[in-house]
Amino acid sequence: MTEKPVAVLALYPSAQALLDAVPRVRERGLGRLEAYTPFPVHGLDEALGLKRSPLGAMVFGMGILGAFLALVFQWWTSAVDYPVRIGGKALFSWQAFVPIMFEVMVLLAAFTAGLGMLFLLNRLPWFGHPILHTRAIAAITRDRFALAIEADGGELDVEAAREALAAAGGEAVEVVHAYTAPEGKRTVFPWREVAGVLVACIVAGVVTFYGIRLFPVLPPMGHMEVQNKAVAFRGMRSPVAGTVARGHLPLPVADVGEADAVLVNPLPRTPETLARGRLRYEQSCELCHGPLGQGKTALSEAYQAQPANLQSATIRDYGDGRLFYVVSYGFSNMPGYAVDLSVDDRWAAVHYVRALQRSQNAREEDLP
Amino acid sequence: MSEGTSPAARVLIPLCLVGLAGAVGTYVVAGPERFFINWLIWFLFLLTIGLGGLFIVALEHTVASLWSVPVRRIAERLSGLVVGIVPVALIALFSLPVVFPWTHPEAAAEPMVAGKLVWLNIPWFVARMVISLILWVVCYRFLAGGSLRQDETKDPAFTLKARRFAPVVLIIFAFTLTNVAFDWISSLEPLWYSDIFGVYLFVGTFLAGLASTALGVAYLDRRGRLPGLRFDHRYNLGGLVFAFTVFWSYIAFAQYMLQWYANMPEEVFWYKDRIEGFWWYAAILLALLHFAIPFLALATRKAKGNLKLLARIAVVVLAAHFLDLFWMIFPVLGPEARPSWPELAFALLFIPAGLLWARWAMRRGADMPVGDPRLEAALEFRL
Repeated sequence: MTEKPVAVLALYPSAQALLDAVPRVRERGLGRLEAYTPFPVHGLDEALGLKRSPLGAMVFGMGILGAFLALVFQWWTSAVDYPVRIGGKALFSWQAFVPIMFEVMVLLAAFTAGLGMLFLLNRLPWFGHPILHTRAIAAITRDRFALAIEADGGELDVEAAREALAAAGGEAVEVVHAYTAPEGKRTVFPWREVAGVLVACIVAGVVTFYGIRLFPVLPPMGHMEVQNKAVAFRGMRSPVAGTVARGHLPLPVADVGEADAVLVNPLPRTPETLARGRLRYEQSCELCHGPLGQGKTALSEAYQAQPANLQSATIRDYGDGRLFYVVSYGFSNMPGYAVDLSVDDRWAAVHYVRALQRSQNAREEDLP
Repeated sequence: MSEGTSPAARVLIPLCLVGLAGAVGTYVVAGPERFFINWLIWFLFLLTIGLGGLFIVALEHTVASLWSVPVRRIAERLSGLVVGIVPVALIALFSLPVVFPWTHPEAAAEPMVAGKLVWLNIPWFVARMVISLILWVVCYRFLAGGSLRQDETKDPAFTLKARRFAPVVLIIFAFTLTNVAFDWISSLEPLWYSDIFGVYLFVGTFLAGLASTALGVAYLDRRGRLPGLRFDHRYNLGGLVFAFTVFWSYIAFAQYMLQWYANMPEEVFWYKDRIEGFWWYAAILLALLHFAIPFLALATRKAKGNLKLLARIAVVVLAAHFLDLFWMIFPVLGPEARPSWPELAFALLFIPAGLLWARWAMRRGADMPVGDPRLEAALEFRL
């Protein structure tokens, strides 16, 4: 054996014998003591003088950090960077943030507990602990209790350690050497295992992908992509060829330029119509065009978008028909709203837009 | 009786009489409404301690837990409160026409309340309460009385019988305690409802039982009456207190957040009355006493097994449980009502009376269930 001895180890016949031996060996102060037992032995931690694991404090600290980070992040997203008022609540509503804070706290605490225990404290990945290559290991995993004096930084006094362990009743005293695998069996880093895990991931992915296709447990989701395909009595159906659904008469206009000439607002300008138009405007238009139609909202700023300013002279000069046409079919980046708003809803919204324009450009004779 | 002459009793009995005079004065001067609200708070406080003790005993038998056998006698003695509470409960029943709005004839005018009158009516309410009291006393007599008899007979058959019966006690406990929460607290404002309210009161009850048990353990341990009780036993008791302060906070916050978020007029008023102005400070104090202080104090491993610290935290938890009940019930008197001399009088009546009762109860039977065949193994319990 050419390697340096890292420990001296002896076997004891029972847990009690081990517990009795520990203080006697410990008082000699020959090195760090470590015990290897087939099952947990009560009182061994105290006898060995092991300190409490720092894991609890780590978990506590990381939990607090998680809760704090979640709070700051939510405050920043909800009250600073993208302030959108939800349900009439304050922008910084701590009550609504608490569940997320709780979850992130648990997440960081759990990761710290699991990964910290495995990688920081148990020093994984650690290939080939020297104890696994001793003669004693077979007995330790069966019915013997081992006590080892391990080199604590400095040199290990092998003879003194042998004598101390034997004097405390130890049998089969053995010197443990750092383990080096024989040439050809040496594993520096487990490339093979890592590659195996990667291959297993790819195989599992491929098998799952085709497995789901061949043996669909869930119905195929394709019907959600094109909703107007009929699936028995469910889903939206395409209209029968040559027919038009009620309320979906195509506009008798081929081009936006003709709209003013052909389309006339059929709704009377009554308070009811304006209220309906206001409701539809607030639901569908206000998000981009703003409450006064000026085209400036938090949303448009955040996305660098430029929705039309409905108060501009150009749009005020458009006829009702042209506004209706744009609402129906969209314009530039704006989508058409023919599906969401009925014909009357759209006309009512046009009335409301006119009222908005009038409100911002009042003439002297409008004053009472 | 000999305890009548002990120095503690010589202080407590006069205090109790002063409190009694104050309580009667409350009825005459401040009115029956104020009297009954205070009576309800103290009735529920003592009842939940007793039921908490009963729950701990039944839980131990159900899960056959070993560590708690040496401290079970303390929980058994506490569960005797379900017998002592009977006269208090019977007086509390007289509060029905005074402080419960659904007993008034105009309640039927409000459709939301009218729909609940099938359940909320005086005969059925009284019947429920009487049935609950009978069931609790029966459970107490079986579990605690049987355990006292086992001290003499050393008959292991009782342990097996208790293990079979204890799950039934837990089921009875679940239904009756939920009923207490809805009947005695929630129905004070019959418009309000919260599905989780039964669980909320359950946590408070279990915590009150645990805290009182911890106080009893500390009291007996200091007098050397619990020989063989180790860190490992105390640690488990402290661990349960710790765990359930967190559970209480979880339930309390979940209930609050959902109602705050939904902002439904028919339910959110309950919280509005309790987190504005004066009561906001009470709510903050509640969060500190019921969660922050016990949580931080008991977080470390050493602290959970430190009986001196645990006893102090137990006092904090009991105070928090009382504040919890007070915060839920007292605002019923209106937004202007503030704690004043009647509340002091009731505290003077019930705290000394409770301490006197505890002194008497802590002498019943042996300090540990010496007839339990598992006691020896339980004393050897290691974490």
